[in-house]
Amino acid sequence: MTRYTIFALLVASMTSATAFAQGTGAPAEIKLGTLYASSGRFASISMPVHDGLKLWLEQKNAEGGVFVKAFNKKIPLKLIAYDDQSNNATAATLYNQLITQDKVDILVSDSGSVLTSVAVPIARDHKMLLIDQTGTGANFFTPDNPYIVLMSDPVSSIWPKPLADFITHDGPKLGIKRVAILYSTNDFTGTQANAVRKFIKESNSGVEIVYDEGIPTETSNYTVLLNNIRATNPDAVIELGYAPNDIAFLRNVQDSGIKPKFLFCIYPGLETELLEKNVGGAGLNYVFTYVPSSEIAYQASFGMPLKDYKAAWDKKYVDSKVEFGFNSVAGYTTGLVIESALAAANSLDQLELRKAIFSLSGKLRTLDGTFELDATGAQIGEITPLGQLILDEHEHLKFVTVWPHDVATGKPVYPRP
Amino acid sequence: MLLYTLLAGLLFGLYFSLIGLGLNLVFGVMRIVNLAHGDFLMLGAFLAFWLFTLFAVNPISAIPIVFALFAVVGLPLYYLLVPRLLKARDPEMLSFILFFGLSQVIEAITTIAFGTSERSIPGVQLGIVIATVKGLFVGHKVDNGPIEIFGQTFPAAWVASGVVSGLAVLFVYLYLYRTRLGYLTRAVMVNREEAIATGINVHRVSAFAFGIGLGLAAVAGVFAPFMLGSITPAMGVEVTVTSFTVIVIGSLGNPLGTVLGGLVYGISYMFMQSYYSSWANLLPYLLLIAILLVRPSGLLGRQVRRA
Repeated sequence: MTRYTIFALLVASMTSATAFAQGTGAPAEIKLGTLYASSGRFASISMPVHDGLKLWLEQKNAEGGVFVKAFNKKIPLKLIAYDDQSNNATAATLYNQLITQDKVDILVSDSGSVLTSVAVPIARDHKMLLIDQTGTGANFFTPDNPYIVLMSDPVSSIWPKPLADFITHDGPKLGIKRVAILYSTNDFTGTQANAVRKFIKESNSGVEIVYDEGIPTETSNYTVLLNNIRATNPDAVIELGYAPNDIAFLRNVQDSGIKPKFLFCIYPGLETELLEKNVGGAGLNYVFTYVPSSEIAYQASFGMPLKDYKAAWDKKYVDSKVEFGFNSVAGYTTGLVIESALAAANSLDQLELRKAIFSLSGKLRTLDGTFELDATGAQIGEITPLGQLILDEHEHLKFVTVWPHDVATGKPVYPRP
Repeated sequence: MLLYTLLAGLLFGLYFSLIGLGLNLVFGVMRIVNLAHGDFLMLGAFLAFWLFTLFAVNPISAIPIVFALFAVVGLPLYYLLVPRLLKARDPEMLSFILFFGLSQVIEAITTIAFGTSERSIPGVQLGIVIATVKGLFVGHKVDNGPIEIFGQTFPAAWVASGVVSGLAVLFVYLYLYRTRLGYLTRAVMVNREEAIATGINVHRVSAFAFGIGLGLAAVAGVFAPFMLGSITPAMGVEVTVTSFTVIVIGSLGNPLGTVLGGLVYGISYMFMQSYYSSWANLLPYLLLIAILLVRPSGLLGRQVRRA
């Protein structure tokens, strides 16, 4: 009996010694460094992401921090965030500052491909894992760079597949044979345009691309471009741009009296509230777009479901200066992935964090859908179906999912009345 | 396509003439560069936006309100900033720094007040005005949709902004060449020291020119939601760069040269967008470099200085 008691005491003391050792090396806080754009061209897609991330972080800190497996305890988070003002050069300096001066434990990029593009080589050079929030440019993800993982949005090389599949499968039956593509020349929409072009050409569906032009991301007037598109007599017009591009484009469509039979834009789906404020319900009526997670109530196995998250958002951001949309969900999703990774990683080593994030692939289901990565760290889950915005009898815009057929909620209206 | 591009360039160019007009008037009279010009345009745009959103004031009706308000604000702002600046050894260079700082302050305050998101006014609002005016001439109700010019259709907002820009140019012309204050303004433009020596109240003349400059920027702002897609607090810098290009093309210091600068810019931009669309946004810089290399005084430079 005495022998058993001594053995039990020894085991207990060893266990507590291990626990003590794990606890003693724990930092007082986990430093999370990120950038946001409070002004400039990307402010309207950056601030919702940043606010979403902040909401998660404040919620976690209110609970005493996040559980960090490496130290077997909850540790508070410290957010170090700088304003890059939508400027790439400023962003590059600030990313460097976060790594070399602030020595953050976790590096999170600003929203969107343009402001993420400068972070990719910097993170790689410093061997810091870049938590890429919504930068979907395909060239960010290469087999020889283990220092990047994409949180939200499918990588742009596969993102437009539902759009291209709809055009090549259902399109010819509806009468869509000639397609015009107008895109902003940046990593995000440039990659989307390449993907659409590739999918259409490879489909051998007989659909022809009759107009294919890239324009600067800063373009704010589309009247002449619309006239040029009209001259090619397309059955479908695909405009790929950021939110300000889509606003200007759709306003010009309305004002110029040109009525494309099929019209696709990205941001009417991603930032519906913002677009509706600027373009109006009538301007968005019958526009095809992606149906994002801010419109689909995915079964979340981790974190708040969409309804609760929206309520938390409305409570925290009562001034409504930043609209709720897909990007708000994306910022919160980033937080959830970081939280899950810290709960799984054996240390804060950057490659260990990467390993922990990869271990979530295909298993983590948040309000943004199923988190799934390919070998390069690109997001291949969280797919956004193709939908069409329809004004209902109460003048409210609703999404009708039209592709893939297995998730479709209605039939497409073509041609656009 | 060619005719459409040309006409679009003319309308777009007229709008850019309006954008540059106030900046050039201020430079011509005071020899200072108002780098906050685009921010005053942005403020004018937000004022028009709020007048429409809160009180349903049509943008065209908002023009006199916006112009008067900014012109009045311009007077004390002139006395606060410019006389001290002009006492400096190199006021032209210092004006860059001073107005850059002012630009940053305006942008920051507007961002805090209104947020970062894009804002717009429905395009149909200008269509309604054009249709009403057209209806008065033809005697029956006219559709408020796009306007046809030489068989080409353009948004009503383009035509409205073109007309108002033309009227603004006419207003500046009449002010400079048909009013006593205008004569004095031109005298100051030609030689400030001589004007002082002849007893002209240079500060009074300059303050009026400064106020009119701000008023014109704000009027251009009223059309910004229609011509520039949407408005944000950060739009000022880009507008200032473009308007600076326009006035350098036309001639620095010659308000009426701005019209030529605007038209050259507008037509070139539309042709670039039609035929080399990816490179369209390089145009302001290309034109700026070309003019500075070939004719640094601008297309109408010499005539003005002698005027």
